[in-house]
Amino acid sequence: MKTIYLAGAILAGSASMALAQQLAPSPTLDAVKARGHIECGVHLGLPGFSFANDKGEWTGLDVDYCKALAAAVLGDATKVKFTPTSVQQRWPILQSGQVDLLSRNSTITFSRNATLGLNFQGINFYEGQTFIVRKKANAKTAADLDGASICVAAGSTEEKNAADWFRERNLKVTITNFQKNDDAITAYDSGRCDAYTAGVGALAGQRAKLKVPDEHVILTQPISNDPQGPVTRWGDERWQLIVRWVLNGTIAAEMLGVTSKNVDEMKANSKNTEVRRLLGAEGGFGAMMGLPDDWMYKVIKQVGNYGESYERTVGMGSALKLERGQNQLWTKGGLLFTPPFQ
Amino acid sequence: MSATATSQSWRERLFGTPVTTVVTLILALIIAWVAIPIIRWALIDATWRGTTREDCAPGGACWVFIRARFGQFMYGLYPQGERWRADLAGILFALGGAALVFAPQRHKLKLALAALVVLPPLGVWLLAGGFGLRPVETREWGGLMLTVFISIYASLIAIPLGILLALGRQSQLRVIRLVSVLFIEFWRGVPIIAVIFLASLLLPLIMPSGIGVDRLARAVIGLGFCIAAYMAEAVRGGLQALPSGQREAATALGLTYWKATWFIILPQALRISLPAITNEFIALVKNTTLVLVVSILDLLGIAQASLADPNWVGMSMEAYVFSGGIYWLICFALSRWSKSLETKRAR
Repeated sequence: MKTIYLAGAILAGSASMALAQQLAPSPTLDAVKARGHIECGVHLGLPGFSFANDKGEWTGLDVDYCKALAAAVLGDATKVKFTPTSVQQRWPILQSGQVDLLSRNSTITFSRNATLGLNFQGINFYEGQTFIVRKKANAKTAADLDGASICVAAGSTEEKNAADWFRERNLKVTITNFQKNDDAITAYDSGRCDAYTAGVGALAGQRAKLKVPDEHVILTQPISNDPQGPVTRWGDERWQLIVRWVLNGTIAAEMLGVTSKNVDEMKANSKNTEVRRLLGAEGGFGAMMGLPDDWMYKVIKQVGNYGESYERTVGMGSALKLERGQNQLWTKGGLLFTPPFQ
Repeated sequence: MSATATSQSWRERLFGTPVTTVVTLILALIIAWVAIPIIRWALIDATWRGTTREDCAPGGACWVFIRARFGQFMYGLYPQGERWRADLAGILFALGGAALVFAPQRHKLKLALAALVVLPPLGVWLLAGGFGLRPVETREWGGLMLTVFISIYASLIAIPLGILLALGRQSQLRVIRLVSVLFIEFWRGVPIIAVIFLASLLLPLIMPSGIGVDRLARAVIGLGFCIAAYMAEAVRGGLQALPSGQREAATALGLTYWKATWFIILPQALRISLPAITNEFIALVKNTTLVLVVSILDLLGIAQASLADPNWVGMSMEAYVFSGGIYWLICFALSRWSKSLETKRAR
């Protein structure tokens, strides 16, 4: 009998050791808490993703993610400061520790992940090259563009991608070259081509500049794959864990139907275990990362779930009016996915 | 009488012979062809009143955008309630400059030294805050205010350093000469954009963590060093243009090196090199836009950043024309000012 107790005590001891190991020291989290705000590197100005509005407040999808992180870590979505970064300085500024993370529409690639000393913590926007066409052309996918003419900037990656894509599929398109992107889109707008090509996010911004934006539609199936998401430094696994699961949490919340409007009610009344775990009603998930258990509750309450954020910044609630496309939940035909909160 | 004489001479110059008449007409046509659409776009078809993009008439400039963003173009993301501090700093600097220009000659030196000692730290305190004022981080600075700030503070580094370097390059002491030459050649040989990059990206990687020099300060210092090297060469031109008899006479009178330099050499050399120095200064004002590569939101940077607002997409012409116009105004004012200095000194 005694040996059983002893074994139990040892087991309990090792279990608590395992728990202690999980809460490894996190210098970044400690620094954030001491400082009282998160340092987030964002794009200098990308319509819908990161920009300063008329009041001088940073807004956008990428910006919203950092606000969500601040709500989870510090309990207040406003406790985040933004450092605008140019293409050239984005990696060094993260590597040298001037920011805690980047949320800056940078494509996740193997070589970046393997050689820059950086980790990508999930995908908050599935970017990809696609086409903008007139609604009356009635094209649904890029394959419908057989026989069409496409305006592109000469020598751009987009030109090469598009040419390759159509050649591989034995589709005939006429590619009309222009010196600059601006010239190409102007030519498209004046009717010289049937389509213009660029990334989904860029096209959303471009469409708003056209004479009659409503007459044009952005094809939702891209021909290239440039997923983007928050980036952290190597090391400090606990910080990486937090960054990853805050993003997952916003997607899970949309999946589970938790919004900023019903979050209080859901937290109090939901019978769904995953909802209860997500909002900290049970499971103690926050504590496992060294955060308060209501970490995701704060995020949803203050920033909203992924869908709310998307609609507000680039979607129908914004001037860009971008369809969800690939950035729709996987259950609704998109690619957005999160591992379960179990 | 002179009016008719001028119009007479103009008529002769423009329409004197058939050839000049044809050339005049062609040029007038070209000017009209270029200018009329621009004027139509910028003034006649332009929208001046309103609050959102929907108020803008198609075809013309939409100055509503500039109105809505005017505060940002001037102050960047500086907190609205604290913007009076930037205004106050600007007024103080303008008063200091005016005092230097209009003060009676005998007080000028004292005034200049006082202004140099008091104004720069006062300006930094007003903008950055602390000691009783609400602190405002440099990342919130921007717009015209930042452009002017960088220009003034970089030139505060560049002008004295440039003069010292020019003197050092002429020095009899080999070490000083060597150091000056090395400094000048290094900073003159490196592209400014590379300097700004190194200052903002490499320094934080090399420096031990925790020791952070402000991003803006690094850019200002880098820019200041580059311009100092150019400035030194401009001043050297003036020094070399002086007949050597000037220094010899000063030495013969028993003046020390510094006294001779201060009272005899520099006043003359600077007067000679004033056009070249002005040139460097105008270049500096425009070079401040290079800080954009490290995402410091100066006037051009804030113009570019504001184009990303989906509520205002497609306003690039307005933004660039407006900020370009301001740069032109600053540079034009500088060149006029230096011109007036030159004529005043020449008397």
